[in-house]
Amino acid sequence: MNQGTMTRRAALRVLGLTAAAARLGAGAPVAAAPTGEVKIGLAAEPNTFDPHLTVGRNTQIFIVNVYDGLTARDVQGNLVPALAESWRRLNATTWQFTLRKGVKFHNGDDFNADSVKFTLDRATNPETKATVSSELSTIAGTEIVDPFTVNVITKTPDFLLPVRMGELYGLMLSPKHTNAVGKEAIATKPNGTGPFKLVTWAKNERLVLEANENYWRGAPKVKTIVVRPILEDAARIAALQAGEVDLIAPIPHVRIAELQRNDKLVIKTIAAPRIFHVTIDVRKPPFDNVKVRQALNYAVDVNAILKTLYFGHGTRLATVVDKGALGYDPSVQPYPYDPNKAKALLAEAGYPNGFETEFDSFTGSIADHSKPAEAIGGYLQKVGIRAKANVFEFSSFGPRRVQNKTAPLFIYSIGNAYLEPSWVIRWMTQGGLGMHYKNAKLDELLTRIEATDDPKKRAPQYSEVQKLIKDEAPFIFLYQADAAFGMSTRVDYTPRPDETQWLYPLGLKG
Amino acid sequence: MRAYIAGRLATAVLVILGVSIVSFFLTFLTGDPAEIMLPPGATAAQIEKFRAEWGFDDPIIVQYWRFLKRAVHGDFGISLRHGQQSLPLIAARLPATLQLTVTAMLLAIALAVPLGVLAATHRGGPIDLLAMGVALVGQSVPNFWLAIMMILLFAVSWGLLPTSGRGGVAHVVMPAAAIAINLMALLTRLVRSTMIEMLSEDYVRTARAKGLRELFVTSRHALPNALIPLVTVVGLQFGYILGGAVVIETIFTWPGVGLFTIQAILNRDYPVVQASVFILATAVVLINLTVDLLYVWLDPRIRVT
Repeated sequence: MNQGTMTRRAALRVLGLTAAAARLGAGAPVAAAPTGEVKIGLAAEPNTFDPHLTVGRNTQIFIVNVYDGLTARDVQGNLVPALAESWRRLNATTWQFTLRKGVKFHNGDDFNADSVKFTLDRATNPETKATVSSELSTIAGTEIVDPFTVNVITKTPDFLLPVRMGELYGLMLSPKHTNAVGKEAIATKPNGTGPFKLVTWAKNERLVLEANENYWRGAPKVKTIVVRPILEDAARIAALQAGEVDLIAPIPHVRIAELQRNDKLVIKTIAAPRIFHVTIDVRKPPFDNVKVRQALNYAVDVNAILKTLYFGHGTRLATVVDKGALGYDPSVQPYPYDPNKAKALLAEAGYPNGFETEFDSFTGSIADHSKPAEAIGGYLQKVGIRAKANVFEFSSFGPRRVQNKTAPLFIYSIGNAYLEPSWVIRWMTQGGLGMHYKNAKLDELLTRIEATDDPKKRAPQYSEVQKLIKDEAPFIFLYQADAAFGMSTRVDYTPRPDETQWLYPLGLKG
Repeated sequence: MRAYIAGRLATAVLVILGVSIVSFFLTFLTGDPAEIMLPPGATAAQIEKFRAEWGFDDPIIVQYWRFLKRAVHGDFGISLRHGQQSLPLIAARLPATLQLTVTAMLLAIALAVPLGVLAATHRGGPIDLLAMGVALVGQSVPNFWLAIMMILLFAVSWGLLPTSGRGGVAHVVMPAAAIAINLMALLTRLVRSTMIEMLSEDYVRTARAKGLRELFVTSRHALPNALIPLVTVVGLQFGYILGGAVVIETIFTWPGVGLFTIQAILNRDYPVVQASVFILATAVVLINLTVDLLYVWLDPRIRVT
């Protein structure tokens, strides 16, 4: 009996405790507040936090953590709403954006249509001397319809405007703050709506971000992020190995395999949207003959180049459309390596003994171009094309391109930041900078695609474009290289296909 | 004396002007910043428009004149990359570079003097052999290689020192050692040879004949005289040390003038390059002047009249 009572009493006590615990649990906040600190080692730091004066991709892909655009990308690279909840084209040259309500800048200023008009007016004002003006040159003006609706009017139809208005060139400024602190101070005192606030920034030393707990998407998971620029590859990797930092980017391809064997580290690679190719000057004989251009493509063993120079960390491309781009068609197969076929095509074109030409490459740019160029030159030699190699310093190669003085063959790469093939192909067929390929059929296909606002409807139309470009071979099609990120096992991070270092989803494990 | 210093300072102005002209033209001969500053999708027409807006399409002489007119008023222009006045940007990085180079110099001297003296006093013996071995290795080892090896050993394997960056005393050890090694080797050889020379001088023989202890003879009679050429060499080497600091600052991401300048050169950020050239050239000229004055003070036989 007593025994039984005791048990019942004990049971009641347990019940009571449980109920109390449950009541406590119900009162706790649902989402966890940001906690902890993550240290990051990057090869480069932003040049400024002024979104209109950014220089280079390294700045654009980082400052998004402090700002928001009207649109954004998800982890797969799809365009998704951000400060604009929706957008549509009212007529050929007018895009209407419906803005998100209740969003505040870090200092408490309200985000609304004024912010959009102010930001775009500033970006397109010649006095700003915006470095990004070339990418916003289609904008004619911005009209406020109501406090949460804006119309952006373009000079010519611009189907890419919603992408431009995203993380690339559409980061939104607060008019009040920008006018108050002045032009120079925005560089180091940004006030955005983004997931992180910039706390301190000592250039070349460290940059500290702190979670914006009132972020409209919900607070980020990590409270403090310390970014250390570590320029030297070996020192950056050493910092990760020594546990000084939790995440580094990039890692040179030669070190990936070794680091993958280290069980204290996690190495993640992603195909970066940088498209390597050799531009062929189709105006100059013998390159005006499509058979010669195809022969060049058969002559180069691109897979071997990927294996030896990139240690297999790259993707062979059939054309100049990268794997992550909208409408990439894997059924368009790359030219196989077939030197005999190349020789046969050259003979058909009237060059059984090959010919002599010149091939430009350069050093000192963001990626290595001279070594792949050397390999390609070797392959061309094997089929009888004797290409004199001219190697330049990148900044002296630039003026050569601007003045259209490039050799009939030159290696180059372009980052498809828009993830849109038409953007890349239009640039590569612009008739300047040494790129002179023109094709009426291609132009017609692209014009049709550019009139289609829905990405899902644009995507399948790119198949025909890829087939046409492959057959026409105005380039030697090469590859895109992987970008590698290294992290300690305590962090959880997934790199994005457009290279943006978006730290909002970054989390700590355990 | 005052006229001497004034003359030297006047020469310094010419030197700085000369270096500035050379660096300005070199920066522009290899391309202008327009293409680097624009996004990769810019077309040829957009690049031309941008160059015109910024005045990069003017003849280089015109651009230099425009720059010089402002520079004499202390305005080196706004950094193209950072959007801030370039002279304060560079000046803010001078303490880091001085910390690194002065530490490296002191380290080199502190090691080289005892090593050189011991080698000279034990000439031909195992200590001399060891010292000369150290000097040989020190002079032939490339410092960037040494820097990376030190990072792997002291930071990654043993976890004793931080891999890179600037912070406490521990941060300066490896970069300073990497810069010091070549200078240390050079100075060890110098101290050894001058000490050997001094030890065979008449006044040393006299001191020994007086019955003074060998340690006293070496440290009080021979060493001070042997150190005079050391001062000159250290002064002259300061320019080289600053040059070496560029490489080492890059490897260790040491936030000094060297790192900032190398990035400015790569980005064709000519206002920063010019500000940096001005500051570094001034520093070298001033240090050389100080050394010359010190030399006069150290050696009463040399007096400028």
